[in-house]
Amino acid sequence: MIGPQTLVFLLIGISILLILVVVIWPSITASRQGKTIAFLALFIIPVVAATVGASEHIQRSEQTQFCLSCHIMEPYGRSLYVDDSSFIPAAHFQNHRIPADKACYTCHTDYAMFGTIRAKIEGLHHVYVYWFGTPMHPIRLYHPYNNRECLHCHSGARSFENSPTHTAMMGDLKSNKISCTSSGCHDTYHAVDKLDQVKFWKPAE
Amino acid sequence: MLRKLRISGILVILGLLVEALSLCWNNALSFMSFVVVGGLLFASGVLLFLYSLVSSNDPARQLEPNIDARH
Repeated sequence: MIGPQTLVFLLIGISILLILVVVIWPSITASRQGKTIAFLALFIIPVVAATVGASEHIQRSEQTQFCLSCHIMEPYGRSLYVDDSSFIPAAHFQNHRIPADKACYTCHTDYAMFGTIRAKIEGLHHVYVYWFGTPMHPIRLYHPYNNRECLHCHSGARSFENSPTHTAMMGDLKSNKISCTSSGCHDTYHAVDKLDQVKFWKPAE
Repeated sequence: MLRKLRISGILVILGLLVEALSLCWNNALSFMSFVVVGGLLFASGVLLFLYSLVSSNDPARQLEPNIDARH
């Protein structure tokens, strides 16, 4: 089975070969067959290659290592290994309650309609600010964390629904009147300013 | 027309090469180079090619200037 990256390289290779034929012998476009070759080489195949390449890049942008490839994210990556179950991201990551290879994206995407596209556009903004602007210090979310992203997984789950604390305020949780991250509830997330005071879990090799 | 074809071909080749290189790494910069550099080169090449198709010069006439005389 050919992977997407291999397919892109194959399409790019075929396209470049055909384009070179047209560039070196442009006179072939005088004939109908030559025009067809030029159209395939300079439009159809490159567009297909670019589309598959873009799809591959978008898939990669969902991976944890993609987010952590920027230096400013290094403490947030470390916070996933904190040995303290009250640290929400660490508890989710270490127990594989979220896919470990898409840890950041699973929680920080937007589960509404077109949410994926909004998340990608925000990601482009992050890159712009990182390279051309002044990143916030400390880094803060652009919007308050929406309960919808927690409820996407937890809603309907037995432990969540049966908890008397959650039952008492279920309506307010689902309508975002009370945040899951309210003080006193699940209010410890990355806490990068406390990383020098905590212990870290070392996964088995 | 032929010159536009050559230039558009070179632009598309450069765009595709940038896109292929960008797939060798997995970070934000490679994604940006795919979209900005590769995308710009590729799009300008494709648009130039499409423009050359609709522009008034007929390649058959360019190669055979006496085509009218024959008919």
